[in-house]
Amino acid sequence: MKVRYLAAGLLVAMLAVAASTASGGTSRSHATKIVVWLQNDAQNGWPEAVALANRNFKAQHPDVDVDVQYQSWGTHLTKFDAALAGGDAPDVIEMGNTEMTKYMAAGAFKSLTQSAFPNSATWLQGLKGSCQFNGKLYGVPYYAGARAVIYRTDQYKAAGIKSAPKSLAQFMVDGQKLMKKYGKDGNYSAVYFPGKYWYYAMSFVYDYGSQIAIRKGGKWKGTLNTPRALAALNQVKRVMKLSRASKTGDEANPQQALVFAKGKVGSFVGNGWEWPYALDTKVGNPALDGKMNAYPMPSHLRGKFMPTFLGGSDLAIPVTTKNQGLAADWIKAFTSTASESEIAKAGNIANTTKLLSFNASNPKLAPFARAAKYSWFVPTSPNWTNVENANVLQNMLVKIATGRASVRAAATSASNQITRILNTGA
Amino acid sequence: MASVAESGVTPASRRRRFSRRRVGQAAAPYVLLTPAAAVIGLVLAYPLYLLVKMSFEKYGLFELIRHKGRWIGTANYASIFHDGEFWHVVLRTLVFTIVCVSLTMVLGTAIALLLLQVSRWVRIALTTGLVLVWAVPVIVAVNIWRWMVDYQFGVANWTLTKLHLGDFARHDWFANPWTGFGVFTLLIVWGAIPFVTITVYAGLAQVPHELLEAAAIDGARPWAIFREVTLPLLKPIFVILTSLSIIWDFQVFQQIWVMLDARPSSDYYTMAIYAFHQSFQISEYGLGAAIAVVMVLFMFMATLIYLRQMLRTGEVN
Repeated sequence: MKVRYLAAGLLVAMLAVAASTASGGTSRSHATKIVVWLQNDAQNGWPEAVALANRNFKAQHPDVDVDVQYQSWGTHLTKFDAALAGGDAPDVIEMGNTEMTKYMAAGAFKSLTQSAFPNSATWLQGLKGSCQFNGKLYGVPYYAGARAVIYRTDQYKAAGIKSAPKSLAQFMVDGQKLMKKYGKDGNYSAVYFPGKYWYYAMSFVYDYGSQIAIRKGGKWKGTLNTPRALAALNQVKRVMKLSRASKTGDEANPQQALVFAKGKVGSFVGNGWEWPYALDTKVGNPALDGKMNAYPMPSHLRGKFMPTFLGGSDLAIPVTTKNQGLAADWIKAFTSTASESEIAKAGNIANTTKLLSFNASNPKLAPFARAAKYSWFVPTSPNWTNVENANVLQNMLVKIATGRASVRAAATSASNQITRILNTGA
Repeated sequence: MASVAESGVTPASRRRRFSRRRVGQAAAPYVLLTPAAAVIGLVLAYPLYLLVKMSFEKYGLFELIRHKGRWIGTANYASIFHDGEFWHVVLRTLVFTIVCVSLTMVLGTAIALLLLQVSRWVRIALTTGLVLVWAVPVIVAVNIWRWMVDYQFGVANWTLTKLHLGDFARHDWFANPWTGFGVFTLLIVWGAIPFVTITVYAGLAQVPHELLEAAAIDGARPWAIFREVTLPLLKPIFVILTSLSIIWDFQVFQQIWVMLDARPSSDYYTMAIYAFHQSFQISEYGLGAAIAVVMVLFMFMATLIYLRQMLRTGEVN
């Protein structure tokens, strides 16, 4: 008997708790807080810019708090979908520039007035393009990133490498020199290249004159199994031989800059912010300061650079928000010239051409600014994000890295998958 | 457990004399059941209804934002049944479940039998170890295992190399799905054994000693005693444990998901991961729902066996 009453009582209590938490989540009549989702890159790389934006916003709206919640690239879209379905999405969200099209096409964001935002006349063209859909603006460019080879000057010198390589062939020869000098340590990588690092691997594909997919007569077609792409992927496989990174891992788990900081890496291909991150006093190795430099990844054509992925982020306002005005004000504060300067100082390319000279004059930023002149971007289809989320390129690269499939077989299967996904619903 | 409470109440109610009281008595169970029924309805039946409804709808990102799907009949089901990958995933999940459940049941029972034979101190030490394993939250356990099988600094590679079983320096267990699933099998069986062992051990303690002795006197060997005496007596426990294990192992998700950085390659898709992938990564929530419904049907079969045994056990008591 007692057990039953206890159980019944417990159930009633559980119901009551459920009911009270349910009602607690919906009170949002007058905004005292806005929620901002930023990627944890900002948390690691340029917390000052975030703090500055919050201070300026607070000065303008003393009664409104800003709750910045840091997300990670791997899971933020899943969380965003769930939040959209539950009507509890943030007021401002950072989106990767490759992720925008799918969400703009589905009507996930409020449309914006360009002139209302700082420096909007001089926004980086590449980033601005990722914020537009059917002639309307749905996002504000936040920052761009270009990757370059970040390397250990002391190791290069000790291995007898006199200057930064001017061609891919020289890059390979230098890599072998490094392996000869340091490779006896089984954990040493001349070029740290985890198996799933597709941003780097696809640069070879574009350098060899191919693409990931092309659009012809309204239909997409994967082109990773074309002769040029196959030549590029075979070259990728050769570069991977200079690496002892995990063949099934990616560049963010563990953070490649922190692996580099441990000392057993001659070079890695990273964003500008990864240089200072490797020197971080808490998680990195400040002793490497003065022993690092960077150069744009050389092309297989002598004297040219390999195209780098034009990475970047935009800021958008989800349609579910009730605080559009406040959200826009926060974005204005965060993309102000002062705040963008902080972001650039951390090793990124600011959202406006006005600040480009800022990068060119700083020796720690200049190599990335030079690399950014030759860039590639993913196919602009609303379905592209699905290719990323289905890990199509990562799976292909893992197969190539581990030798589980031939380059041709892996590329053909990936290419067919890309064709299928990009044409879904078209 | 319910049956025990039942038998405690019934004789008492027979002694009641007043009809009003009797009506109250008759209504009481239903009144008391209402909160539970309401909770089950709220947290189980309603979501299940929504899931089934969604599986007949076109429900992508566009529909998600508008909170409204479009009815497309059985198109989602047709699409998954014609999808070669889906059948691969089903087969992989079934084989994985069978291997995990068999290993769990055999090893769990073996350890329970061992517990009967060892001295008190060893038994306490062993049981404590088992309970500790049981007490580790899945996510923590997965991360510990992840460090152990790390390709570069993992203790597994180090130990195997030191034991001269080959050169395992920088051996990547997940490069090959077979060894990868080997690690997952170990991880899941390791985590599932404590529950099986402790339950079977409790059951073994209930087997009357006289029966075992009588069998021994009649000249039965230990294996025969186990097969002919112990096993039939513990059959209800084994049926329940097996069906519960099937349900748990069939829907394995976190272990694979966390171990592989939330980006498992398609070689590692189980049905749960495949459904999640279709829903949350491709934003085809209708397709994902259809896969989930198929999964629910698979598990319903395992549950039927479990329920039948539960009801039978109730009758005996």
